[in-house]
Amino acid sequence: MIGRIGRWIEDRAHLSDLWRSQMVEYKVPKNLTFPYAFGIMALVAFAIQVISGIFLTMYYQPDVNRAFDSVNYTIMKEVPFMWLIRQVHAAGANFFLAVVYLHIFTGIYYNAYKKPRELTWIVGWLIYFVLLTTALTGYLLPWGQLSYWGMVVTAEIPTSIDSAPIIGELKIGETISLWMKGGYEIGQITLGRFFGLHIWLLPLILLVLVSLHLYLVRAAGISNPEGVEIDKKKEGVPFHPYITLKEGAYVMGYLAVFFFFVFFHMSHFLPADNYDPADPFKTPAHIAPEWYLLAYYTIFRSIPDKFLGFVAFNLVLLLLLLLPFLDFSPIRSARKRPLFLVMFIVLVISSMALTVLGTMPPTPTNAMLGLLFTAGLFSFFLALPIISLVEWGWYKARGGSQT
Amino acid sequence: MIKTVFFTGITLAFFYILWFNNFFAHRERYEMPAQYVKIAEDVKSYAKEGKQLFEQNCQACHSVRYDAVYISSVQANPKLKTLQEKYGKVLPRDVYEAVFYEDLNALKESFGKVPPDLSTIYLVKGKEYLFNFTLEPQKVLPGTSMPAVMTGRPEETAKIVAYLKSVAEPPPEEKSKRVLMGVGTIAYLVVMGVLIWLWRSRVLKRMGLH
Repeated sequence: MIGRIGRWIEDRAHLSDLWRSQMVEYKVPKNLTFPYAFGIMALVAFAIQVISGIFLTMYYQPDVNRAFDSVNYTIMKEVPFMWLIRQVHAAGANFFLAVVYLHIFTGIYYNAYKKPRELTWIVGWLIYFVLLTTALTGYLLPWGQLSYWGMVVTAEIPTSIDSAPIIGELKIGETISLWMKGGYEIGQITLGRFFGLHIWLLPLILLVLVSLHLYLVRAAGISNPEGVEIDKKKEGVPFHPYITLKEGAYVMGYLAVFFFFVFFHMSHFLPADNYDPADPFKTPAHIAPEWYLLAYYTIFRSIPDKFLGFVAFNLVLLLLLLLPFLDFSPIRSARKRPLFLVMFIVLVISSMALTVLGTMPPTPTNAMLGLLFTAGLFSFFLALPIISLVEWGWYKARGGSQT
Repeated sequence: MIKTVFFTGITLAFFYILWFNNFFAHRERYEMPAQYVKIAEDVKSYAKEGKQLFEQNCQACHSVRYDAVYISSVQANPKLKTLQEKYGKVLPRDVYEAVFYEDLNALKESFGKVPPDLSTIYLVKGKEYLFNFTLEPQKVLPGTSMPAVMTGRPEETAKIVAYLKSVAEPPPEEKSKRVLMGVGTIAYLVVMGVLIWLWRSRVLKRMGLH
């Protein structure tokens, strides 16, 4: 019976043709390394967030008086297994961002942003940006002390535009801040609009962008760790079963690590201070954004001038977007570019150090270190055009060959 | 090879610092004698006694809403029962604060603010802080309006902490169920991963791709 229904559908939809053309006859390089699996892990993380999020909206109440209790009593104590869904969603958000960061750094390492994949990179950047906004809006929803005060600080950041010489007169920053909060203080209106953004608008935008990203990856083909474009007919291996099974096994490993955190180590993803209901009259001792924003936060905090700090951390985002155009070298992949590899290590160490510095108190020494690593971060982007020029020289000297 | 080791190592170290043990960030620690730790941890034996002690010593000012324990004057109010029939044992915060505004306001007038509800306080502060603070409030938080009710009664304080733990955390049998679930889930995923890998080797051998 099931077989007959299957055949009935198959005769009309031709799904096996689609499978063959898209999965089996789609050829990819044989030498893809482990970091290439971060892409599929991010996709899995996205699916986990959507599914667990749908269940959470069934019990969550976006009301300043009831949000905290609906999360910490109804979800965590009353409804069977909702504690698990919440822990999956909270750990999932952190894992999603962690995997996306690893995916971004992999892309930089293998120069996967170069022609013909610039558009893939740009759409990927948009995903990253929307993802940060989604994380930020979701962070307010439990309405704990950290949620509340984290948003108080975040909503203050745009006002640093107003300390600029001429444009400061226009009070653009204050306007943005008011839009974010929906008024002069964080309250019901803020919670309502953040809830709407977090469960509807931003995930839908993400869904569209992720689809586009996947389409573009298919259109341009997967990049290669060695930086050469393969002759797909001769050298490629079928995507299924070669890659699907390999990365399928990796995804199982990823999920095993993920569920270790979900069941046994939630103390970082559901921090203690956020079990305290939001109280506008009680400022907690340590207010810092979540780890995925700390690098930007440290840049902002280390630069003495508020406006310059604001410009600096936005410049990092902008330079990241413009990466394909800053790096115009004909040679691809850090495996073949010693100078690029050195600067990549500078980038990795600087961004990690900035993140860790963000967890530390803002002493003068830390501010100096912050400036140092900010300089390191920018030196990566500034070095790219220079490295590219040098490498064009090598490339021409070798008569236009890669190695 | 060196590059792989370097990048893997630095990434693992980074996430270890962020998610497990950030030895760069300073955290306040409080001492708690071992015998009282034992009492505060043992929810099964002491939570019930702790609840009685809570009712005698703390309930005049503090509620534990998630356990349907309200401040004494509210508890004595006949309105409470009617409301609980309508809303359930755990009243919504806005309903509770609106109906019993006068009781809460009386506390506010004598202490400067409404003493906090203690449903989740164990998760926020941890047993060491709660134990020390309840024993000697002024020593831990100078200037606090919390009176020194429990000073000189460490054992009873530890029992109250055990009660607060029982409200904030899932009960012990539920906890061990969750551990079992976690181990089962992880074991399933690892076994599936290994099986997929083995199956892949077989498929690839048949295809001549290895």
